[in-house]
This record gives sequence, structure tokens and C-alpha cells, in this order.
Amino acid sequence: MKTKLGFLFLGTGLIFTLSCTKYPPESDRLLEDLVVITQYDTKVDFNNYKTYSIAGSIMEITDKDTVAMTGQTPTAILTQIDVDMQARGFSKVPASSHPEFAIQVLYYQNTNVYTYYYDWWGWGGYYPYYPYSPVYTTSYTTGMLNIELLDLKTADVNQRTYVRWNAFIRGILTGTHTTAEVTGRVNQAFVQTPQLKTTKP
Amino acid sequence: MKKILLVFAVFVLMTGLAQSQDKPASTLGFTPSSYYTFAWNTTFTMGDFNKWVSGTSPAGFDFGGRYFINNGLAVGFNLSWQRVSQIYTDETFTIPDKGIAINAENYRFTWMVPFQAVVDYHFMSDKMISPYIGLGIGGDYMEHHLLIQEYDIYKTRWDFSLTPEVGALVKFGNYSQWGALVAFNYKWTTNKIELYETASKDLQMLNLKIGLAMIIR
Repeated sequence: MKTKLGFLFLGTGLIFTLSCTKYPPESDRLLEDLVVITQYDTKVDFNNYKTYSIAGSIMEITDKDTVAMTGQTPTAILTQIDVDMQARGFSKVPASSHPEFAIQVLYYQNTNVYTYYYDWWGWGGYYPYYPYSPVYTTSYTTGMLNIELLDLKTADVNQRTYVRWNAFIRGILTGTHTTAEVTGRVNQAFVQTPQLKTTKP
Repeated sequence: MKKILLVFAVFVLMTGLAQSQDKPASTLGFTPSSYYTFAWNTTFTMGDFNKWVSGTSPAGFDFGGRYFINNGLAVGFNLSWQRVSQIYTDETFTIPDKGIAINAENYRFTWMVPFQAVVDYHFMSDKMISPYIGLGIGGDYMEHHLLIQEYDIYKTRWDFSLTPEVGALVKFGNYSQWGALVAFNYKWTTNKIELYETASKDLQMLNLKIGLAMIIR
């Protein structure tokens, strides 16, 4: 009898133990969180740059089309980029004034694999003033904002445009984030790249 | 007056009756042949482990068995399940040589399944309260996870662990086959965490165990 009770005790404990999942509750997982990923070109001295221009709208890339986004949040994102760039010593100039950097902001929202490129001079709707022909192949399952800092200064020499700084904000515009939360993440992209600044007079 | 004498007489008789049912003090209780414990385990991380997850974690259970081989000396095993976890907000990881920085809320947790052989010495194994000291030696299976959105970056490791423990087995009565276990141990392991910039070695922790014991005569 004692032995049976012992095994019952042992078995109950073992079942209890094995029933405990190793993962934390799903509600605690961070699926809706905004993640900011940045990468800068470590070989570039940003002090050699002073001016930039920025696209007038965020381009949303879908399976069917590329369209300019409108509304409060897209506008606030572009404004925040301006604020951060100018706080780091860069001056905004019109695209026609030969800026050293061009900033373009792209947005994707689906789970397909994207492979696309912009033809150098042929694509007339967006930044027709400089060469730009990188090919992108990537896949996302959620909204992704991509801010790119394109080097126009070296583009004339090499006939290519290099991306000197790139910021991805993942999870954006797919959850219930406020405009302030979104612009806060845009600012964070700059905060976590202290190298992106110029002191050139 | 008669009533008072009567009550007093009944009291004295009852006291005598109660005493006659008791055994001599020297033979109170029994030394178990073995016992099994199932305890709730609260983990307090220390050192490098505390840098990884600093919160106290009540998510854990410990299952053990002991077999007395000579007076108060017992040998046995411990099998545990433990998880320590913590959410860190607004944290930035960097990979400086590649110019990469990642800022995210992240959920860190370590899941542990220790298996240990144990030697205990009980100072008063036949008493209602039987304090003991012990040493566990064995292996710890650990999974260290870093969750960012739906991404789960993790590493698994098997490593050696050493656990000195003090505690007490408390019988619910001198002759009860059920009791409580209260124990406190320090665990040192050779396990380590190598995820992003958070590197650690020789993970250490304190564990508080409170549970039930089934005692076999």
C-alpha cells in the first residue's frame, strides 16, 4: 500500500512537472512590439556630408503597385526624420539642388517575397535625379518601414548609389500604435546611430 | 465545592489516561526508510545569471526521493523544472564592427531541467523535525531564449551542477507518514549564456523549496 501511494505521489508530481511549459504565456510575447534595426556604413565619415533632401511621401510597396501613403502618421514620420537629421547638423535642400544625401522611405506590408529594383534613370515618379539600381529580395510577415540614406555624392563617380545608413522599423502600422509611438521609434533609429552626424560647417 | 473536586478528579484522570497512551520520550517517532518530496521551487538568480534575468522566479518544481542507508545518512535524487524570465524594454543590442544596432523589447527566459544525485545527512531522522544538510551533484539541461517579436533566438546546453543544501523534513505528527519539506540551496553550474552581447559563465542561483513529503517507514 505504501509503495503504491509512493508511486502515485511520484507519478502525480511527474505529470505536474511535465505539464509545465517552458515558454512564457503567449500574452507576454512581444509580437506587437516595434523593433528598430539600423545599420550604417562603417567606412563612411559622415562629417564629409552636409546636405540632404527627402522624398515628399512614404512609398508603400504592395504586390500590385507602389503608392504614396497619406495621412497623419506618414507625414509625422517624414517630419521626425527632418527633425533628427537637422539636429545632427545636416541641412535640408531641394532635390534639384544636388544634395549629398537623399532619404527615401518605403513601407511594406505582406508576407510575400519581394524582388524589385529601380531602374536608373527610367523610373520617373520618384527621385529621377540620380542613379539608383540596387536589387532587393526580402520577405516580411508584418509592416516594415525602411528609411534609406542614399549617398548622392559618390553616385556621379561610380554611377551607383550606395546606401550609407538604413533603418528598419518592424511591426509598424500593423498594430495599434499611436503616431507618437511611431515617431518615437523613428527617433530611436537615430539615437542608436550616434555616428550619423556632421560637424562640417 | 463538590463540583470543583469532581472536575479536578476528571481532569487528573484524563491527564493520566492521556499520558498512559504516550510512549516513553526516547522512542517517540520513527526513522523513515525513505521519503519522497514534491516542492514548489522559487529561484533567485545570482552573478552573471542575474544580469541575464534579474527577477525572482516562482516558476519551478522539484521532485526528489531519499533512501536511508545508515542512521541519518540518505542517498537519492532530485529532478526539477525551473524557469526564470523577464521582459526588458527599450534595450539596444549592437554589433559594432558591422554598424548594426537593434532596439527592441525582449523577453529573456531560461528553462532548466536539473537531474542530480543527492547525499543528505539528517541530524534527527526519527524526530518530528529533522534538519539536514546535503549535496547534489549532477547535470543541468538549460535552454536560454531571447524572444523578439516572433523570433526566438536560443541556445541549449547540458552542464555540470553542484548544489549544497540545508533544510528540514517536518513530519505532521510523530508517527505521520506525511510531512513538509523546507529547504534552501545554492546551485553552481558550469552552464553559460552566449546570446548577443550578453555573455556569462558559471551560472549560479539560490533556490527556496517548500513542499510536501511522503515518508515511508
